[in-house]
Amino acid sequence: MSHENPIPMTPVWEHEDTSRIPFWAYTDEDIHKQELEKLFYKKHWCYVGLEAEIPQPGDFKRTVIGERSVIMVRHEDNSIYVVENVCAHRGMRFCREKHGHVKSFTCPYHQWNYDLEGKLQGVPFRRGVKQDGKAKGGMPKDFKTSDHGLTKLLVATRGGVVFASFDHDVESFEDFLGPTMLSYFDRMFNGRKLTLLGYNKQRIPGNWKLMQENIKDPYHPGLLHTWFVTFGLWRADNRSELKMDEHFRHAAMISTRGSGGKDTQTTNVSSFKESMQLNDPSFLDVEVEPWWDGPTAVMMTLFPSVILQQQVNSVSTRHIQPNGHGSFDFVWTHFGYEDDTPDMTERRLRQANLFGPAGFVSADDGEVIEFSQQGFEQKPFHRSLAELGGKEIEETDHMVSETLIRGMYAYWRKVMGV
Amino acid sequence: MSDNWIETISIDDVPEDDVIGVTVNGHQIALYKVEDEIFATDNVCTHGHALLSDGFLEDGEIECPLHQGRFCIKTGKAMSEPLTEDIKAYATRMEDGQVFLKFR
Repeated sequence: MSHENPIPMTPVWEHEDTSRIPFWAYTDEDIHKQELEKLFYKKHWCYVGLEAEIPQPGDFKRTVIGERSVIMVRHEDNSIYVVENVCAHRGMRFCREKHGHVKSFTCPYHQWNYDLEGKLQGVPFRRGVKQDGKAKGGMPKDFKTSDHGLTKLLVATRGGVVFASFDHDVESFEDFLGPTMLSYFDRMFNGRKLTLLGYNKQRIPGNWKLMQENIKDPYHPGLLHTWFVTFGLWRADNRSELKMDEHFRHAAMISTRGSGGKDTQTTNVSSFKESMQLNDPSFLDVEVEPWWDGPTAVMMTLFPSVILQQQVNSVSTRHIQPNGHGSFDFVWTHFGYEDDTPDMTERRLRQANLFGPAGFVSADDGEVIEFSQQGFEQKPFHRSLAELGGKEIEETDHMVSETLIRGMYAYWRKVMGV
Repeated sequence: MSDNWIETISIDDVPEDDVIGVTVNGHQIALYKVEDEIFATDNVCTHGHALLSDGFLEDGEIECPLHQGRFCIKTGKAMSEPLTEDIKAYATRMEDGQVFLKFR
């Protein structure tokens, strides 16, 4: 394990619990590389996309798991394969298109050709070249195409959502989520076919874990997101719950908006711009849907790779794609359901304006993550505080707690061995 | 010759147990000679668009040099992965030391 590093850094988690988080957890490149191995490439299921993105056999989407480029593709038999985008020959990331439709994959470098499962079909000049009636050069006799396919990932699909794992010994997707998270997953993906509404993509110059923490932090929405507060979508006194899986890695923030009226007397976080009004009130033309079964917002963090969002009528997946310790790409996939009326589709699209890089609400998150990273880089020996609601890790029936962040770091420490 | 038999090349120019590429009326054609019999197919592979005449003739099948897909030289049928589409095979006859071919 020894690197050629003259000053070996052994990060030590000094605090007894996870109510303090050392800044090196966000700034250390070696830690980041270990995270990729231990959290993204082993023992975890990572999000790759929606079945609705590749409806026809031969349709593919290029995406990433951690920092590895992968391709999600629909086979002729309608099943979904995920293969690594690295040619078995010279290691090139051969697939350059984001989306497409193919019969097979061909690396442009030497035209090695793979079927939709990633099996190598043939290689140019395998038998050499014919000159004067004799074959010259080519692959040795013992070369077998079956030894040189693309790396194939394990795939799990549920409710139209596709997850994959490089680790073929990973537990089942259902066990990975655990019963509590699975019930909220199935609430949102209840078997109806999904329809693809569109994407937002942004690069956020901050550590990827900050995005998970952002959606495990119910303290900030009513304080940072003045848009939420001003227009009554978020209130600290909303009926709410914080739930986790048994490992504390996944979480759900569940909240139910009150009557919708602006009865200001009950809230500690005042709607301080009472006089402001939306020029187009249709942004908040919320229609209660039967599948909600109560909650008006459920924000799920599935560790490490994805956030599943229901914020009233806006539903999306948010894919976390790290690139180095201090940056990640954040890809939002907005979707709907096959039985949506045209009005509902319009409503979902309108409400999607709250989200994404320039969203009325989410623009704030991109910025605070960037500025947090700046603070960490400035004094990596320091630590942050996550003590709201106590030092314990427990489910709550209110929003004034950082328990989900403490839970995530308890799991992180266990897996990372720090 | 009557009908639409088209004269191509000399029988002696088709290598024994092998293949040669020729252009006939603008079509790229592969001619094969096996035990003094002549066969003709399209010369461009339906998969990677390589010339089959650069490939290998074995057991009555031509193997494409690019991705090793094999076609039957008598029928043009695609015999193996990664091929999904047949090539055309053409009738041939030999006369006066020449190979004739019919596009039909």
